[in-house]
Amino acid sequence: MSEKLEAYLEDISHFLSGRAEREEILSEIRSHILEKAEQEYGGVDDASLDKVIAAYGPARRVAEKYLDGSPIVAPAYKRYLARYTALLFAFHSLLTVFAVVFKKNFVLFPFLFMPNLGVGEALMYLPTAFLADLGLVFLVLYFITQSKKDIKLPWPKFAVDLDEVKPPKRAVWNILGFVAMLAVTDFALYLFYKHHTIFFLNLDFTAPRLLLTPEAGRRISLIVIAMLAVGTAGLFAKIFTSSRWVDAVSNTISLALIGLLLRQPIDNAFAVAIPERLLPKIKFGLTFALLFIAVMVALDLIKNLVAIGRKRLARQ
Amino acid sequence: MDPEIGNFETEMNRGFLQILVLALLKKEMYGYAMVRTIRDMGYEVEENTLYPLLRRLEKNGWVTSKWDVGEDRPRKFYAITDRGRSLRSGLLGIWKKQDDILKRIMKER
Repeated sequence: MSEKLEAYLEDISHFLSGRAEREEILSEIRSHILEKAEQEYGGVDDASLDKVIAAYGPARRVAEKYLDGSPIVAPAYKRYLARYTALLFAFHSLLTVFAVVFKKNFVLFPFLFMPNLGVGEALMYLPTAFLADLGLVFLVLYFITQSKKDIKLPWPKFAVDLDEVKPPKRAVWNILGFVAMLAVTDFALYLFYKHHTIFFLNLDFTAPRLLLTPEAGRRISLIVIAMLAVGTAGLFAKIFTSSRWVDAVSNTISLALIGLLLRQPIDNAFAVAIPERLLPKIKFGLTFALLFIAVMVALDLIKNLVAIGRKRLARQ
Repeated sequence: MDPEIGNFETEMNRGFLQILVLALLKKEMYGYAMVRTIRDMGYEVEENTLYPLLRRLEKNGWVTSKWDVGEDRPRKFYAITDRGRSLRSGLLGIWKKQDDILKRIMKER
């Protein structure tokens, strides 16, 4: 028997693995190919088998015709994959920020486990979280598809519907925004270079009065400058491209930096005396403001991820 | 052939091939013989489509099969069942109705 024929059948067998009637299928294909080679090409040899096998088609395509054509996720549910994953991941990202800030574990067994992480660890954790979210949504859609029931899933619109997402700003606004942000970032860098902080009690930079202690001022200033730099870089990139990936990456880094900012101890951070009773209120105010910003950035991240997901689906 | 027509032909063939196979099985036949018979009538059928179709028809009880190992090469022969005959007559009825509709429309124009 020709090795070529057996190798071809072995390839088909590989793609048919798991089917009980595999041997039967292969026997029938073998019988067909040998008969055709004999009847149409005068005999069974390598040359005739090559032609017959080529006409029969690639092994994978042949095997696929025997496989059940039912989709893993029904076409009607495909659009939910991107949207639900985006929402879940945004929620996951937000909880990650909380876990980093409050130094706590969050467990919602078996869907969510948010360990107490540092900022660097959180950044490494997020891609894994994204894959887990994608897998979870996929699994739910898979079971719904296999149930063969016409389940109407909710289509969340709370501030993330693409129709409400404004198109990217025009280039001229990006340029103006970039120039303004660059000026602010440069000024902050200049202040930091001169005084190792950007937080002052007065506006007289020749004899400045520092708001924060040198150590706290340096740390917090660096984080704020990094946030300004991310915003500036994002606006710079948007001059050349309207890709929402730029915004999504910018949002993600900003969220991480806000998380880092929230983790900074502020009890002994002030260089001026703060009345004891005022300190908890200041702490609460700062935390609330930063969390509010984090929520806004997270919502923007959701919008961008939904827009990216929808665009990808539309291309399919 | 125009590739666009080719795409439509592939879609149309899906239904047509089922009727064709059930019609051919007035007598027992094996796969290669079906391919040759169809080709001799001036029509091409993809071999790798025919066998999965036969398997589906068999799974649903419209045809049966048995291996004949008496000759020099084993061959799997297919035969239509009573259920298959009933299906064939139903499908041919639909096909005839569709054909009549198209003929009437074309005549009106």
